[in-house]
Amino acid sequence: MNSSMINPQILGEAADWLVQLHSGTATAADHQAIAQWRSRSAEHAQAWQRVEVLLGDFRGVPANLAMQTLQRASRKEGLSRRQTLTRLGLLFIAGPLGMATQHLPWEQWTADQRTAVGEQKNLQLPDGSQLLLNTDSAVNIAFNPQERRVLLLNGEMLISSAKDPGARPFIVETPQGTAHAQGTRFCVRTENATSQVSVLEGQVVVTPQLLRESTTLSAGERQRFRLDRAEAAQRFDLNTVAWDKGMLLANNMRLDELLSELCRYRPGVLRCHPDVAGLRVSGAFSLRDTDASLRLLSDTLPLNISRMTQYWLTVEPRV
Amino acid sequence: MPSADQSLNQQVHHLYSEHHGWLQSWLHRKLGNRCDAADLAHDTFLRLLTRQVVKPLGSEPRALLTHIAKGLVIDRWRRQDIERAYLETIAHLPAAEVPSPETRLLILETLWRIEALLRELPAVTRETFLLSQIEGLTYAQIATRLNVSLITVKRHMRTAFIACLSVA
Repeated sequence: MNSSMINPQILGEAADWLVQLHSGTATAADHQAIAQWRSRSAEHAQAWQRVEVLLGDFRGVPANLAMQTLQRASRKEGLSRRQTLTRLGLLFIAGPLGMATQHLPWEQWTADQRTAVGEQKNLQLPDGSQLLLNTDSAVNIAFNPQERRVLLLNGEMLISSAKDPGARPFIVETPQGTAHAQGTRFCVRTENATSQVSVLEGQVVVTPQLLRESTTLSAGERQRFRLDRAEAAQRFDLNTVAWDKGMLLANNMRLDELLSELCRYRPGVLRCHPDVAGLRVSGAFSLRDTDASLRLLSDTLPLNISRMTQYWLTVEPRV
Repeated sequence: MPSADQSLNQQVHHLYSEHHGWLQSWLHRKLGNRCDAADLAHDTFLRLLTRQVVKPLGSEPRALLTHIAKGLVIDRWRRQDIERAYLETIAHLPAAEVPSPETRLLILETLWRIEALLRELPAVTRETFLLSQIEGLTYAQIATRLNVSLITVKRHMRTAFIACLSVA
């Protein structure tokens, strides 16, 4: 039932009863009268039941946490419609002004190197370093006599840096900050205003653009950071980095996370039904043939893949 | 109304084949992210399909599509605001009170719904409703807390319940 279909009189009466019921002073007689009201018609019963389900959900969240979060969010302009609209308006007309923090697709077109969705490209840099560019990514390579700088505009890459005869520093810059490599093998990824550096060999010094502090990461450590803040560095399993071999290794991974990873490697839309989003998946999945990976999923799990068009897939529970 | 459904479906199908690519690159330009753009383009068409009332789509379908898409972008930002506020809140909580990562999503989903529900209501109505439904206070307790009369509490609650009934 949609709001536009609720009879306004029923809506008003239901609201009156709800006010009474939640007052903290509702009597047995009130409850009885409400039961009677609900049984007047299917529409009465439905209106009531829906709102009870809604309110029941609200009471399921920890009170302290919910209050603080909502208050914090509304203090932070997050909930003011006008401010949000202003923010949107600014972004929508800002165009190139937003360039400093927001990557723009034309930058990708002017990038020295870019990959299409599903493509990976191996590049040999002037100093002998190797750069493997992952799907849907763009880099500018800016080497000069003082430094070796690679700008990752979007996407992900794996660097195996070579020793430079001139001892120039090797720096990767993302829209969110820099990663300063020290004879090393590491992955950098940037998307959604967040960068992530994962170190496979050697050490990398990470500095978010607006922070003064840096973090030194060693092999087996990774860190996510935004323009103005960095998360704590975390250990990760070196063996799970396999995209350079065209594979995704899932170890007890949530299905929705797995699908959003696969989505990066294929054109179109790949959705996950909320009922199966939390399923845990382990296994090796091909990134070069994501159709095969999806088949593998639907063969081994109670899933159905519905295709609205070739580019619009939804993974749902099998009925 | 199968015939109306069918004609809406046909219209949406037509719109999809004509404008999906354009909408997605428009969103990509705005968001700077391909996956989000694909996601929101999908949601935009879904929104069109699930609109209960068949309205003529007009001669400027792209205006309608961007209108819906902008609403969805705002929604997404609101959700991010809530998520950020949530993370800041749990950062200040004693470890024992921090919900497990598994329940985090459930809590966030609920908070998004509460926020969406109360978004258009006056601040004091919002607060009254939260004190009643989240903190579980009686109207008398709320009246004392907010220093207003019992009648006023009831009036705010009625407004909020109407909002609940309208989205439920």
